Amino acid sequence: MQMFFQAAISGILMGGVYALIGIGLTLIFGVMQVINFAHGDLVMVGMYAAWLLFSHFHVDPFVSILLTGPLLFLLGALLQRAFIQRVIGEAQENQILLTIGLGLLLSNTAMLAFTSDYQLLTTSYSSKAFTVAGVSMSVPLFFAFIVTMLVALALYLFLMKTDTGAAIRATAQDREAAQLMGINVTRMSVLAFGLGSSLAGIAGALIAPTYYIFPQVGHAFTLKSFVIVVLGGMGSVVGASIGGVLIGMVESLAALYLASGLKEAVVFALFLLLLLFRPSGLLGRART
Amino acid sequence: MTALLELKQVSKTFGGLRANWNVSFSVEPRSITGLIGPNGAGKTTLFSCITGYYPPSSGEVVFQGQRINGRRPDEVCRLGMVRTWQKVRPMAKLTVLDNVMVGALLRTWSLKRARALAEEQLHAVGLHKQASMLAGALPIGQRKRLEVARALATQPALLLLDEVMGGLNPAESNEMIALILTLRTRGITLVVIEHDVRAIMAVSDRVLVLNSGELLADGAPREVAENPAVVEAYLGKRVES
Amino acid sequence: MSSDARGLARASKLSLSAGQRVGVIVGLLCVVFAFLPFIVTKPYLLHMGVLLFLAVIQGQAWNILGGYAGQHSLGHAAYFGLGAYTTVMLMEQNQISPFVGIWLGVLVAAVVSLLIGAITFRLRGPYFVLASISVAEIIRLLALHFKDVTRGAEGFLISSVPALHLGPIEIDFLGKRPFYFAAFTVALITTALSYAVQQSKIGYYLQAVREDQDAAHSIGINLQAYKCLALVISAGFTAWAGGFYALFVKFIDPDTVFGLDVSVQILLTCIVGGIGTLLGPALGALVLVPLSEILRNPKGLVQLGLVASDSSIVRVIEERFSNAHSFVYGLLLVVIILFAPEGLFGVLKRLLGPARVRQS
Repeated sequence: MQMFFQAAISGILMGGVYALIGIGLTLIFGVMQVINFAHGDLVMVGMYAAWLLFSHFHVDPFVSILLTGPLLFLLGALLQRAFIQRVIGEAQENQILLTIGLGLLLSNTAMLAFTSDYQLLTTSYSSKAFTVAGVSMSVPLFFAFIVTMLVALALYLFLMKTDTGAAIRATAQDREAAQLMGINVTRMSVLAFGLGSSLAGIAGALIAPTYYIFPQVGHAFTLKSFVIVVLGGMGSVVGASIGGVLIGMVESLAALYLASGLKEAVVFALFLLLLLFRPSGLLGRART
Repeated sequence: MTALLELKQVSKTFGGLRANWNVSFSVEPRSITGLIGPNGAGKTTLFSCITGYYPPSSGEVVFQGQRINGRRPDEVCRLGMVRTWQKVRPMAKLTVLDNVMVGALLRTWSLKRARALAEEQLHAVGLHKQASMLAGALPIGQRKRLEVARALATQPALLLLDEVMGGLNPAESNEMIALILTLRTRGITLVVIEHDVRAIMAVSDRVLVLNSGELLADGAPREVAENPAVVEAYLGKRVES
Repeated sequence: MSSDARGLARASKLSLSAGQRVGVIVGLLCVVFAFLPFIVTKPYLLHMGVLLFLAVIQGQAWNILGGYAGQHSLGHAAYFGLGAYTTVMLMEQNQISPFVGIWLGVLVAAVVSLLIGAITFRLRGPYFVLASISVAEIIRLLALHFKDVTRGAEGFLISSVPALHLGPIEIDFLGKRPFYFAAFTVALITTALSYAVQQSKIGYYLQAVREDQDAAHSIGINLQAYKCLALVISAGFTAWAGGFYALFVKFIDPDTVFGLDVSVQILLTCIVGGIGTLLGPALGALVLVPLSEILRNPKGLVQLGLVASDSSIVRVIEERFSNAHSFVYGLLLVVIILFAPEGLFGVLKRLLGPARVRQS
């Protein structure tokens, strides 16, 4: 029983970060209906950014999100404006292929720049843990969880309480109608992609102290973030939050009760079941 | 004469929404039946139910004496009932001829025969000059005709036309009406959803009126036009006949 | 010649369409390929040739499902790997001749594909793509996990392929040549098959499914049946290529044959060459295979005798661009989607097409 709680808690903590990645993706999909296959690679960029800031300037990864966030925002906005904007409205297949291509460019630029060696970002607290009620929690993951919840809350407030946030939500709900109401939907798309990328980058920075950093690390996140987005409902920020935590838990429990090597397979199997039986997810609206 | 198509208390609900409720009517062979009603009345839903896109929630759909509830759309088509789409669906990257050939290939494996059949239908709807154009390049009027040609190529006994005159100018509408009438002489039975009430009245033997999913009226065009409930359903507009 | 006569000459049946001209070029290349092993003896060239033909086979196979039927599977590695592992495992553990085993691999993949199709074909567009990736990943993870059966990450090493006895003839598979000719033949066969499909009712129906599934359904096409047909054919040939690859390269592991890379490469071959076209996979393979081989293995340029062994080109590629093939894949994908979505075939048609007066 103890092991169950241990695994569940670790899973929830990790799930917080997954949630952040998923929220970014659902924002992108909600506003632009673009399936961003480069999303995991944006997380990777965030990880490398944090690592560079740490190893060259001794900036703590948690502090670095003040830099990684805006940096990834700019990167995302650039990608959207330069590339993705050109295929909006075209066949979704083309959009998918384009983002796959962009993802390959991102991960391979990293490989060319940093080689495929595994990098480690070891802070003083990287391997520290504290125990609460017999359950051990990794310090970096715990704080990462806190930060992700704060960031998610901030985003939620932004979307709900600000004019720009309302404009984004309007564009997500009905692009044409939003345009007719005078909303610059292209700008909203750039914003959404920038925000989504920013969240991915922040997530990357947050897990950098606990993960191996290498160019292909993003791929695992891409597919998982799709599971989260579908689970929570495409376009639902709250759904992605819950979905992320759930997936984190499922993965962790699968590693405990089945085998570490199969934990991802369980998540993917869950994905297939979801796609078949409840594609609109827990909280999403079915899009026709 | 046994009816070609019979609906017995067909209902279709989506969650709490009653799209069709207790709809019953029958369609005689070689007749033209008009189906009218305000927007959202459930006309297209009815077509989708009849042709197998989703099974009716209750009731029976009987075609040529066979109960066809729950059959797939392609099975229904093979049995001899085919529908066109309110929002036209040209297969854009195929040529006009290829589009119609896809329909014709239902009844044959030979490309040669399918091509001959397709060319026949293109002549019938007046699109033979556009045969090698990509369907995606056609203007709306010709797209509508392509849709009809493609459906005809499946050699149906019953053709369900969904707002085939939507977006057409008066000249094109007249051509379409003329086409519909020639189809009847070919032995094809028709059920036609239309907003253009004048056209419906000119063409139909019988008119069904749907409102909020329920059948409001069922009779000769003139009767229906003078039916007070029908007039009211159209927001007080007098229905010209 | 007066302009009238010139116009007549263009309109005459002897002039070829742009697409046919590309076909002639590819046809000539095929003749070259057929005689290449007799002209050239460098084994590395033949090695590249085999990889090229395998890429054509995989591309043609994928094109039937992805190009004609429009179902963009990114999970074809599943079938490639199933073919590879079935062939190798049956050979090493059950002593079944690989010439039989490779066909059993095709059978396994075909059956599995029907299962996968039953599950995934209900999904449309991007959901189908995601599902196809998930399936392939699940299979890869299972192959990695069940070490007792598959030897896991260690992989499978085979020693040599036995000789093939066809009646009185004995073909031994010791050098590159037999592999070359076998792969070449099957590449031609799959291309011919693709042509046959294209020019048949099946081809028309698959393309109708691609263009508009609901419309196709309404005019009598059994969506599930035709999609599954395309998938089974596609999976079968992909599995054959997998089995052949295993016998040729003689080492496989889950990441090499079940990895997402494999699926992306197949997709890329078709996209770069021209998706949905007959010659697309061939053109795509002609560009991608040499490119990726040289980037992966720049010493090959030396082996081909194209550069001296101390050439700076080799050094530069090794130091800076090792594994840059993946980067080039990304670049090509972006460029093609943005600027030439019809792929090389479309570009070549535009370049080679006769200037014609268009009749609207």
